[in-house]
Amino acid sequence: MTARPYHLAVDIGGTFVDAMELDQRTGVVRFRKASTTPAAPWEGVLAAVEALGTDLAEAEVFIHGTTLGLNAVLERRGGATGIITNAGLRDIFLIGRGNLPDEQMYNFQYERPPSLVQRRHTAGVRGRLDHHGEVLEPLDEDDLRDVARQLVEEQGVISVAVCFLHSYLNPESEQRAAELLRSWYPELKVSVSTDVVREYREYERTSTTVLEAYIRPIFERYVDELERGLADRDFAGRFLIMRSGGGSMTSDAAKHSPTPTVLSGPAGGIVGGSYIAEVLGRDNLLTFDIGGTSLDACVIEQGTAVITHEAELEHYPLLMPTYDIRTIGAGGGSIATIERGLLKVGPRSAGAQPGPVCYGRGGTEPTVTDAAVVLGYVDPDSFLSGRMRLHDKEALTAVTEQIAGPLGLTPREAAAGIFDVMLAKTVGAVRQITVERGHDPKAFSLLAFGGAGPLVAPLLARELNVGEVIVPFAPSGFSAWGMLSADVVTDLSRTRMELLDEADLGDVAAELDELGRDAFRSLADQGVDESHMAVERQLELRYLGQEHTLTLSIHAGLDAKTIRDAFNEMHRVRYGHSMDNPIQILTSRVRGIGRTERPELPTSPAGDGNAARALVTTRRAFDFGIRAEADFAVFDRSKLEPGDRFRGPALVDEGTSTTVVHSGQQVMVEEHGYLLITPDSEGAFA
Amino acid sequence: MTVAVDGATVEVVRSYLLAVADEMRTTLIRTAFNPVIYEVLDFGISLYDEQARLVAEAPGLTRFLGANDHSLRMGLAYVGEQNLQAGDVVMLNYPYWNAAHTYDATLFAPVFPPDGGELVGYVCVRAHWMDLGAKDRGYVLDSTDVHQEGLLFPGTKLWDRGEPVTAMHELIRFNSRMPELVIGDLHAQVSCLRTGERRLLEVVEKFGRDTVRAAIDRFLDADEQASRDALAALPHGSWTAEDWMDDDGISEDPIRLQATVTIDAEGFHVDFTGSSPMVPGPVNLPIGATIACARVAFKALTTTFGPSSAGHFRPLTVHAPEGSLFHAVYPAATFTQWTGNLAVELIYKALALGMPDRVAACSGGDVPGFMMVGDHPDTGEFFAISNNDVIGWGACPDHDGESAVNHICQTVARTTPLEVLEARSGMRFERLEVRPDSGGAGKWRGGCGIRREIRFVSDGEFLSVVKRTRSRPWALDGGEESRPTRVVAFPGTDRERLLSTRRVAVRTGDLIVLETGGGAGHGDPQLRDPGAVRRDVVQGYVSPEAAREIYGVNDV
Repeated sequence: MTARPYHLAVDIGGTFVDAMELDQRTGVVRFRKASTTPAAPWEGVLAAVEALGTDLAEAEVFIHGTTLGLNAVLERRGGATGIITNAGLRDIFLIGRGNLPDEQMYNFQYERPPSLVQRRHTAGVRGRLDHHGEVLEPLDEDDLRDVARQLVEEQGVISVAVCFLHSYLNPESEQRAAELLRSWYPELKVSVSTDVVREYREYERTSTTVLEAYIRPIFERYVDELERGLADRDFAGRFLIMRSGGGSMTSDAAKHSPTPTVLSGPAGGIVGGSYIAEVLGRDNLLTFDIGGTSLDACVIEQGTAVITHEAELEHYPLLMPTYDIRTIGAGGGSIATIERGLLKVGPRSAGAQPGPVCYGRGGTEPTVTDAAVVLGYVDPDSFLSGRMRLHDKEALTAVTEQIAGPLGLTPREAAAGIFDVMLAKTVGAVRQITVERGHDPKAFSLLAFGGAGPLVAPLLARELNVGEVIVPFAPSGFSAWGMLSADVVTDLSRTRMELLDEADLGDVAAELDELGRDAFRSLADQGVDESHMAVERQLELRYLGQEHTLTLSIHAGLDAKTIRDAFNEMHRVRYGHSMDNPIQILTSRVRGIGRTERPELPTSPAGDGNAARALVTTRRAFDFGIRAEADFAVFDRSKLEPGDRFRGPALVDEGTSTTVVHSGQQVMVEEHGYLLITPDSEGAFA
Repeated sequence: MTVAVDGATVEVVRSYLLAVADEMRTTLIRTAFNPVIYEVLDFGISLYDEQARLVAEAPGLTRFLGANDHSLRMGLAYVGEQNLQAGDVVMLNYPYWNAAHTYDATLFAPVFPPDGGELVGYVCVRAHWMDLGAKDRGYVLDSTDVHQEGLLFPGTKLWDRGEPVTAMHELIRFNSRMPELVIGDLHAQVSCLRTGERRLLEVVEKFGRDTVRAAIDRFLDADEQASRDALAALPHGSWTAEDWMDDDGISEDPIRLQATVTIDAEGFHVDFTGSSPMVPGPVNLPIGATIACARVAFKALTTTFGPSSAGHFRPLTVHAPEGSLFHAVYPAATFTQWTGNLAVELIYKALALGMPDRVAACSGGDVPGFMMVGDHPDTGEFFAISNNDVIGWGACPDHDGESAVNHICQTVARTTPLEVLEARSGMRFERLEVRPDSGGAGKWRGGCGIRREIRFVSDGEFLSVVKRTRSRPWALDGGEESRPTRVVAFPGTDRERLLSTRRVAVRTGDLIVLETGGGAGHGDPQLRDPGAVRRDVVQGYVSPEAAREIYGVNDV
């Protein structure tokens, strides 16, 4: 093959840009970091690429994970965005569903965050569909002309969302309005609800479309800058951007429709997790990505990560397939305090600034990271490979004075208490996501990554009674690595809302075929070769009257009885009962996939099995297996070889992260060099 | 035996108990059949220790805060604790014991360890059922005694030692106009209880009975202290406020509401003495519901964020004379419990006399609900679909009131999408927009309500449910009162009339206009920043005329 040998993955985080280079010829992976540059984010990306030193002329793929869209929303940096909808209904977006966020339910002085769209930038035009999609009153094009002139010329709107009631049943009037708007104002960005998401519920559809319209100008500029920067460096390969619900899309597709990228921050790790689940043959995997401020968890079943079709961004609904990631506000920066004699951890976080006390940047309140230092897990001298000296004494003082004293505990007991409270909050949330799938956590393996993942995951495994923890190489760069295995993906859907027993299944099949063809066309437009294309077909079903749906994969032909039986069974597994009620087909969904050649996971031959070669020293630290201090054997990960086995208590250091293994747990190094942590064969976790 | 637990263990145990309630909630929402449960979140979920003390709750209808407590206590008294076995599920909807009306089905289950040990606690879920055989389809607006309001369960086992009591299920099925929905919701509630039962037992097994007990004691005490600390920071005194509710749904007579709130060293006391005696129509409130309303006001004032427990409410006492509007007794009609929405704000009105600088002015004042029942124009099948509308919130001491949000009594409920309403009924919505100038003027402006125009495309009945259209929401500190909710049926015809809580026949082509109340203002309008007034005009919340006349801002 004459293809260019390098694949690059670059992931932007809050503090660092991670860049990873894969040499397809050798399977060798290299990893570099650069600082994030918020004012001109493309500069940090290019700096990370320069740090790697890859010859971009030799790069076939440049795949990028960015939270630019998300940040634009959070920081309200999008352009002046307007809404065009039906006459009389201009406030659909402003009113929403009238609800407060759950955690604000008793706050009777609540204020909504500033809206993405000012009320004066919303307008209605005459024209109306009914609930069958039939035209009651045709689109009034003169009215549209007036409204457009007002929004664009008088109000300075640069991007507009078009969403009409019931358009999901008949997109024609929306399409006609968009066509006219584009002809009148070629520079105006027009986002059409039925192009973004063709599903029912006007507020949710409008919100999704508004988010797209809001992000587009800033996103396009960013991608343009990056494309230019890459071209200047002779890059001529494919530029892909990560999506929130799996896979990637070309930079060109993302410029026109950036919404699928907004929640893609944690996606790389999940794509990588799915790949690892497949390679290692784990049917049920839970990914644990633990960073400074939060923990992201996601379930991977049979190699496929669980997807939700309704996400939220700052309380705005987003009808977009998104990995069903639960974010728990418990990370290294979560602050511990005493209130009325009880220990609270979070939800306040010290974040990166001022950060934990031990960072010495002005933090005065003890955090989970400070507790980890007090417990002895982190060597103050070798943190981040020695690039940052930790202030361990200050951490100890903070924990002692603010937590241990008031609780009447020793500093290590108090630090262990901070871990206990953080874990208890986490366990409940994680249980939810497995139980919602109808599984017991016991059935899962746990894949730990992110800077603090391997430090916390073995403890979580004990609490959850999970059988196995997997720690990949370079856990802090795992997200970028995972992106290297991302396919090109496109999702399409149509709301149907009809009874299974009354539906013309031939028509359903024809629609799925049509969506499949559209998906293939989109993949072809993104440069995917036909031989690499695959399609997944799904129906979203529910009992008549239910709101929530279950998603059934359709593998063969459509047959009402097979569908009914499969749905009933899925409902029984998920909820404990099935019913005789009629089944409704809510949505048909198709995912088009352009398969990417995945990085090979190199294996090494087994060594002599004697982990002593990697033993560096021992360190006193708190052992949760016996809830007391113990001597932990400290291993250098780079010296471990496949086949090595050892027991907790042990610490495995690899510069950017530390794996903490407690007594009652054992470690096996498998053929790819991953650590497998399991209950000690002599018994369950203590 | 008592064991000592440290402050970390207490939080750990509590996290596990809260997770039990959350998992119950997930199970209910995801399996419920009727949209009032999964969209409006018209439910309450709670977990109790063996003394029936509330230890954990999952968010549902704001006004159901701790409402299950009363129902559980009354249910236990009726059934007798000694008659409860592992696997039992008990249903209670007798309104005077249930803290709600007959269609709120409260189900609870005792939790026993599998080895037959002693009682661990209780799990409880209430949820709104769509029909249990009351005199009218849909909602009941003019009943005059409880026997017109549906089948009554005083505390009846629907599952006995794990086995379904089939005869009872059949009784429910034959007494409901919507048997599939109701039986579906029953099963969803039972899934929710079974989940709670299993998880609670796991928690007890993990930590041990004594540790769990000790932890509960500690956090109930800490929660009590949190409430008391908050009260200590408030002015002490006693304040009495009155207000008026439109009518009882039968006569046109306004109904007097009165509350006296006292904050003293002992705690926080709400007394509804002085309110109207019970009335013939279905707006009487059972004492359990009255207590829940007082709890909502109390929680929002003292411990706004975080989970609730029995500890929080120890400083709270609630009194309403038996036989009065706020303490209904048999056989008073109680179906239309909108009274409670007004009661929560009445407590705030009293508080505002003592601390106008801490509370918001009155909101649009109520939950403007509507419902249509009829035969579907496409299928000919019976439908009943409802929506509770948004209003403006009262202005606060330091910012404007929010526009177009749910009433404070159901903050996390959600309105029904137009695309759902139009598909499932004979209504078409010609307008849904902010109602300019509906918010009361002030240094801080009240939020605006909305205007909704409903055109009927099939014949049927329209139910308007709103209890505050005749008196204007009260302002604070020199602010102005706002416009209350207004429902106009058939405007511009010879049938035109104003509705409060009424059921009216509608024909194809008819129009009903629902304008919801704005929030009242806070502070003198002359003190409002003219820039804010101009912004309001530009965004369409305030008309240029109002800007000139009320605020004296002429350059708009």
